Amino acid sequence: MLLHFAAPFIFVIVAAAFIALNLLISRLLQPRVPSAGKNTTYECGEIPIGSSWVQFNIRFYVITLIFVIFDVEIVFLVPWAVVFKDLGWFAFVEVVIFVFILLVGLAYAWRKGDLEWDKPETGKFARDAAPQLFEEVGTERQQTVQEVTL
Amino acid sequence: MEFSHFLQINLASLPYFIPELMLVATLLALIIIDLVMKKPSSSGWLAVVALAGVLITLITVVNQYNLDSRSLFNGMLVLDHFSLFFKVLFLLAASLAILFSMASIELAGRPVGEYFTLLIALVLGMFLMAASTNLIMIYISIELVSISSFVLAAYIKRATRSSEAGLKYAIYGAFSSGLMLYGFSLLYGLTGTLDLYQLANLLSDAVAQNPLVVFLAVLFILAGFGYKIAAVPFHFWAPDVYEGAPTPMTAFFSVGPKAAGFALLIRFFVSGMSQPSLVESTVWQAIGNVNWPQLLAVISAATMTLGNLIALVQNNVKRLLAYSSIAHAGYALMGTVVLTQEGYFATLFYLVAYYLMNMGAFLVVIVFQDLIGSEKIDDYRGLGYRAPLPAVAMGLFLFSLTGLPPTVGFIGKFYLFAALIKAGEQYYWLAVVGVLNSVVSLYYYVKIMKYMFLDRPSEEKATALPVAFGMNIMLIVLMVPILLFGLYWAPLQEFTRNSIQFFTGVF
Repeated sequence: MLLHFAAPFIFVIVAAAFIALNLLISRLLQPRVPSAGKNTTYECGEIPIGSSWVQFNIRFYVITLIFVIFDVEIVFLVPWAVVFKDLGWFAFVEVVIFVFILLVGLAYAWRKGDLEWDKPETGKFARDAAPQLFEEVGTERQQTVQEVTL
Repeated sequence: MEFSHFLQINLASLPYFIPELMLVATLLALIIIDLVMKKPSSSGWLAVVALAGVLITLITVVNQYNLDSRSLFNGMLVLDHFSLFFKVLFLLAASLAILFSMASIELAGRPVGEYFTLLIALVLGMFLMAASTNLIMIYISIELVSISSFVLAAYIKRATRSSEAGLKYAIYGAFSSGLMLYGFSLLYGLTGTLDLYQLANLLSDAVAQNPLVVFLAVLFILAGFGYKIAAVPFHFWAPDVYEGAPTPMTAFFSVGPKAAGFALLIRFFVSGMSQPSLVESTVWQAIGNVNWPQLLAVISAATMTLGNLIALVQNNVKRLLAYSSIAHAGYALMGTVVLTQEGYFATLFYLVAYYLMNMGAFLVVIVFQDLIGSEKIDDYRGLGYRAPLPAVAMGLFLFSLTGLPPTVGFIGKFYLFAALIKAGEQYYWLAVVGVLNSVVSLYYYVKIMKYMFLDRPSEEKATALPVAFGMNIMLIVLMVPILLFGLYWAPLQEFTRNSIQFFTGVF
């Protein structure tokens, strides 16, 4: 019975060795030309703005949760749509009930104010509230631009 | 694939699914009422709607009693007396929980729409737990119960300990259901089926090939079931959750999901892991040489011993009752060890007794919490003089939890020990452990009584406490069956005995 495990065990060893070997070879062969630009965050070729350690607003979290409603809906609707012809009207009624229940959930979230996008109360624009923050970001960006162009 | 065939079976199953559909309707009604009505005035209405939904469901469940056992939805669920018994128990527990929630000041002024919606969803999950015969269905029903309970435990948003309760519940729940799923996947890998009845047919071959893997799978699956019934060593969440959750919910958690866990455990082991003995019709045998009854016996002994020993040093009544509820899971497990009809009957009977006495004990905790704002044992000093009726009721509930006659707790324990002794010598040791544990438990139950009755209240606190009329009524309503079934338990015994009827499968 123990021998049954021999095959997967060898597989694991070979897999690990394969990765290690490739990393080693590329390390031996690669030319190394370090520069500041290579250390910047990759933003699809754009020059990065600010730090990547941004805290996402907690408001996105609620939106994500509500997205789950539609996510689940799609998971069930797609297989249903594929075999709709075979299933007929009974399944149609069933799906209508299902979508209705989800819509009640959405209406509930809407009514309870979870879809409201709470705007910050301080000033019309965030720039008015914390001008020094924007200055910092500005200088940081200029520095990065200079480094990259160098 | 013949879709229309499956569809026909599903359609034919719907009339037997009315109680669950009633619960879904109640749930939707609660959400819509909460949507449409203005906040402050609607909370009473919501409770009434929830209670009405539960009671109507109860009627539909009782109506199903004259139906034959059958498999529903292509082998996903079954309808048999065993599941109906638990459904009745869940609905009774839920209706009490709704009444407790209305009467308690803990939830006053909070939005209760989601609270009752989640409670109904939890009951729906427990319904499915008691009836599922497919491993995936078992998992989904457990998750439905778990996720609703996480949110309910954390319902008092600003209270740290309530949030802590919810978080701990969620983390332990996620971990143990992960283990359980792993166990399921092992069983599926060995037998290639998710259906409990096919599993029973295929298991002996699997055991012959890989005894160790089957045992491992059972161990993992027990982690999931053990979590639901709060058995050692999967009990760690219980004290914190019971202490932090709103007390009406604590009362419900300690009875509802625990009973559902027992329903699942018994169904899984009877239908999936054992076969009727050829010698006697009321005895089952474990398939192959997988000695899971012994495993259950060890868990049972550990659960009651640890629960009782830690309860000895508690000074918070909610925590004390949490550990006591762990211990009671151990007692109830004793009945499932022996694999006899007698044993399962004893477990079911004990769960009914436990439902009555534990709901009662927590109701007294709610009453005192509302009146003196504390659940410390020290603050219970002299309450016997300040609020006689709740204190006397607490005495009765605690004596019943200990298992002293003439209460229903005594009858329940008597049946459990009788089942063990009847099953033969190999489980005498477990009966001895059980009896010793009952003696230990007497100490901490009586300690509460001592504080309430033997200690005089201090001078400035000597005033009588105004116990709400509704609370008094509920206390009396809970005290009567405990005494009544303690003296004349024949009807309850007959009802429970008729419930040990499992759907035996079609394969």
